[in-house]
Amino acid sequence: MELLTIPFMQNAIIGGMILAVLLSVLSLFINLKNWSFITVGISHATFGGLAIGFFLGLSPSLVGGIFAVAVGLLIGYISKKGDIHEDISIGILFSMSMALGVIFITLTPNYNSDLFTFLFGNILTMTREDIYILLIFSILSIGFIWINFQKIMYCCYNEEVAFVSGIHTGFYYYSIITIISIATVLAVKLVGVILASAMMILPVAFANQIFWHYKKILITAITFSILMVLGGIYISYEYNLPSGATIVFLYSLIFSLLFFIKRLIPKG
Amino acid sequence: MKILEVKDLTVKIENNIILEDVNLEVEEGEIVAVVGPNGGGKTTLIKTCLGFIKPTKGYIKLLGKPPREAIKTGKVGYLPQKSSIPKNFPYSVLDVVLLGLINKKLSKKEKIEIALQYIEYVGMKGFEHAPYSKLSGGQQQRVSIARVLVADPKIIFLDEPSTGIDVVAQESFYDFLQRLRKEKGLTIIMVSHDIGVVGTFVDKVAGLNRKLHYYGDTKGFFQKHILENLYGSEVKLLVHSPECVTCEHFHIQDLH
Repeated sequence: MELLTIPFMQNAIIGGMILAVLLSVLSLFINLKNWSFITVGISHATFGGLAIGFFLGLSPSLVGGIFAVAVGLLIGYISKKGDIHEDISIGILFSMSMALGVIFITLTPNYNSDLFTFLFGNILTMTREDIYILLIFSILSIGFIWINFQKIMYCCYNEEVAFVSGIHTGFYYYSIITIISIATVLAVKLVGVILASAMMILPVAFANQIFWHYKKILITAITFSILMVLGGIYISYEYNLPSGATIVFLYSLIFSLLFFIKRLIPKG
Repeated sequence: MKILEVKDLTVKIENNIILEDVNLEVEEGEIVAVVGPNGGGKTTLIKTCLGFIKPTKGYIKLLGKPPREAIKTGKVGYLPQKSSIPKNFPYSVLDVVLLGLINKKLSKKEKIEIALQYIEYVGMKGFEHAPYSKLSGGQQQRVSIARVLVADPKIIFLDEPSTGIDVVAQESFYDFLQRLRKEKGLTIIMVSHDIGVVGTFVDKVAGLNRKLHYYGDTKGFFQKHILENLYGSEVKLLVHSPECVTCEHFHIQDLH
């Protein structure tokens, strides 16, 4: 319990738990809409924005956030219009953003942060200020989702049906993409741009294997996610391992274990 | 009363003409089947009638209004192709039906009462709390119909409602549609790749392959030149006819 007394660990634990709740809720929509690759695209695109922020001497989180939202909305627009196959457009956009990121990081004078931190996260970098921003954003986002939950779910059921029923489907579609994009930027400090998408895909994918109703799925996904974040932070501290990678590895490991156990146990 | 009017409708998507000079009128209480080959523009016609796609030329009046205005009245229902709904949608039957009442200003208790009535009406009583994702294709279709009906529409559009349903369930589904028309005075417009449905269950047929090759009653539809124009090749039909008693309900229709 020594780690609970260390200030940066306290920040990581509180921040990690808030993130776990927010990303698990988003995970419900990402799984229903098959948005895994969109999420991967947005999280990778964040890297370009963060690097531009460093280069310009502005807040990397702010510039990264604006950049991620712009790329997220662009990906959302392309995949909604369906002119180009969304996998192709996402592949191009996220490679371009990553390339931009590497170029700007190299061009930044006196750059002393580790590139590795961006890519895979570092709990040491999470500050009290980050936690306040994360908390306010999570309250606003979850509040928005809470109030409009059935309408958003109706859009996930079928956007055209929801539209005929009088729902402003475009508004909810782009709102959720915007929330996912900002949440990704906030997740970078904990798990990095490469691993952030795992925290948005695995919680509900895990819960889906046990329950079918959305209420139980959400409760299980949030509980699972909090446990994985706390477990990951503890293991990474005890064994001196990178925090982001440990957390995401734990997510994947427990998900895979459940996946195989479920298939080994005969039904009936 | 004219409930749907399609006038000189042309729809181009990325410079491809999907629909060309389509004209049709649907009266209140009619059941109309839109049939034709794959890629013939059936779904595009439905989507244009619902305001998802803008006409390149011509216009559509639904309930006497432009489609997007008509939708706002809440009197239009839509049942999409089954494949467009997520397989593991995490809702119970009751949850799905309640979605149809999402914009109605009623208390939660009133909404549940109405939803339960319609679940019973479509023959799904006892399944209220069952997972929607675990139902058979036919059962899911009934639940979807209940979701449409709770909103009390005047006209409903069905896109390939028989896909993924076995033959027995299909027949009882079509019987159910006729019952709906009789009891609720509903107008039903249905896209189907299955022209067998035309012979027995509908009032009018729209034979669509980019152009409207036929629009009229079912008897006039089964003519060689119409079917060949529509499908572009020689067509042999195996038609199921409930009136036929001599050959166990199946016979090859002689084409004129």
